[in-house]
Amino acid sequence: MSSNRWLATGNYFTSYKEEQRIFFTSLDRAAMSLLLLCLFIWPFFIVVDNKYMLVIDNILVAVIAVMGLNLVTGFAGLISIGHAAFVGIGAYTIASFARVLGDSHALLTHAWPLLILIAGFMGAVFGAIVGLPALRLKHLYLAIATLSFQMIFQWTINFMNFFNQGQTISVGRVVWLTGQVSRSQHYIFWYYAILVVIVFCGFAVRNLLRTRYGRCLVAVRDNDRAADAMGMHPGFTKVYAFALAGFLAGVAGALHAYLYRGVGIESFTLHHSISFLAMAIVGGLGTLPGSFLGPLAIKVLDLQVERLSEWAGAHLTFATNLATALRPLSFGLVIVLFLMFEPRGIANWWRIARSYVKLWPFRY
Amino acid sequence: MAHLIVSDVTLTFGGLQALTQVNLSIEPGFITSIIGPNGAGKTSLLNCVSGFYHPTKGEIQYGQRNLTHASPHQISSMGIARAFQNLELFRGLSVLDNLLLARHQNLQYSILHAIIYFGKTSRLEAENRTYVEKVINFMELEPYRKKMVGNLSYGVQKRVEVARALTLAPKLLLLDEPMAGMNIEEKEDIVRFILDLKKEWGTTVVLVEHDLGVVMDISDQIYVLDFGEVIGSGTPNDVASNPKVIEAYIGEE
Repeated sequence: MSSNRWLATGNYFTSYKEEQRIFFTSLDRAAMSLLLLCLFIWPFFIVVDNKYMLVIDNILVAVIAVMGLNLVTGFAGLISIGHAAFVGIGAYTIASFARVLGDSHALLTHAWPLLILIAGFMGAVFGAIVGLPALRLKHLYLAIATLSFQMIFQWTINFMNFFNQGQTISVGRVVWLTGQVSRSQHYIFWYYAILVVIVFCGFAVRNLLRTRYGRCLVAVRDNDRAADAMGMHPGFTKVYAFALAGFLAGVAGALHAYLYRGVGIESFTLHHSISFLAMAIVGGLGTLPGSFLGPLAIKVLDLQVERLSEWAGAHLTFATNLATALRPLSFGLVIVLFLMFEPRGIANWWRIARSYVKLWPFRY
Repeated sequence: MAHLIVSDVTLTFGGLQALTQVNLSIEPGFITSIIGPNGAGKTSLLNCVSGFYHPTKGEIQYGQRNLTHASPHQISSMGIARAFQNLELFRGLSVLDNLLLARHQNLQYSILHAIIYFGKTSRLEAENRTYVEKVINFMELEPYRKKMVGNLSYGVQKRVEVARALTLAPKLLLLDEPMAGMNIEEKEDIVRFILDLKKEWGTTVVLVEHDLGVVMDISDQIYVLDFGEVIGSGTPNDVASNPKVIEAYIGEE
């Protein structure tokens, strides 16, 4: 390439293979590498106490789950209000192993990467089953079908003795190359574990989206009649979209189980499904950066509002009720404001910023 | 090349008779037009051929294969492509992606290959991109390659619609009113594309169109439908002098 490799001053590609690259300029690649490097090394310089480390880990788990939800709802256009149930399937897969084998069985503590993968596949199987109504149903009717799956899931867990009727089922501490991960290292260890999973999933999804397996999702969203005429099986594609979302949700669920060292139904309720949907919307439906930005924004907002309401509860004693209501209120408000003013989500700001930088210092 | 034969096709929706015993024979390498007043059943007929509707009675045969009960994605893999009357594009994708989607059947790699991307997937994507570029050149869509389809003008979207059907590399192309709502220059462009298509690519074209001037000029064979029945067929001259056709279009004296 004869031109400037750092700024996109023009398209100098001479083959179609060259145009397949993810990072069009070296600047893009450098920025991404730098971001990843920062994410991996910051814990060496900044020490955060466990409470906040847990929040950070939580954000990362939510990123994986929302990535899945974004595939099915954002890219394939199939509204899923049962995503927390898929996450729950992953978590309860781990819990089942813990119930049957005992919570510190070697399989659970040593072969945890394998179990996370198994949990992902369980999620995919359930995703495909729940996706079956998509063969016939569309839009809101399909949303109701996924909602009913959420209800069935909660009901099943709550009434089955095997699952401790929704009470916490504990999962043992895992073992790593350096021996058992101790209490003080727990959150930092899972920070790295989840980060690695995210990097893998992120690149996998990014690659998937530029192949026929990603394009067909958008095709059934935009026009499933035309997708049919172009040689895709729309029904199969929709089931596949659900399976894909289920896989990522299952992985997220398994990580959640290990992170909290236990599984209880209260983490996989309808409330969580809706909050995943909110993260996807705020981040930007149908965009990959949105899956990262959405959970980050919502969780940070949640944390800030919680601190604010604590402060308000302590100082303004006459308004304690108001202070407790602040959290759900701000959550609802953010979603409504985003739907009104920026339906394409934070990812759109990201896009605008990027295109500005690309053309800098010229404005055309 | 295969011959498309529609024999005794009847299509009913409840009490409504959309098509009544329609017989067509579409010769390979020809431009065959289907004309008729509004509501005559032209689009219904195309829907039957492309698998969106299944005829209540009768058979559709393409070469050795029976299309009567095949679904649209099966039919598209047999080399029959369809451009829609009301734009049915993937609005959220670029022109390039719209066309690449039509190569879906040709991109045979597994999901694991897709995740890794390097190697097989990359090679197949580049190969199919070459084909797509050929179609883009043919349909003169170069300036719009990377543009989002939903933001393009109507005339260009219509052209993308035809291009997408062409990207399937069809032997038989069904065009449903490709010129509706276009101005004279855009119509001339599309006519030029259709004629080139016949000459250079040897594609059989079935054209549903309201513009009688265009139809009379470029068709090798014309079928006239009215109220779901074939009321006349033959070369443009035969049809133009057929009293039944004149009656359907202009009315009785």
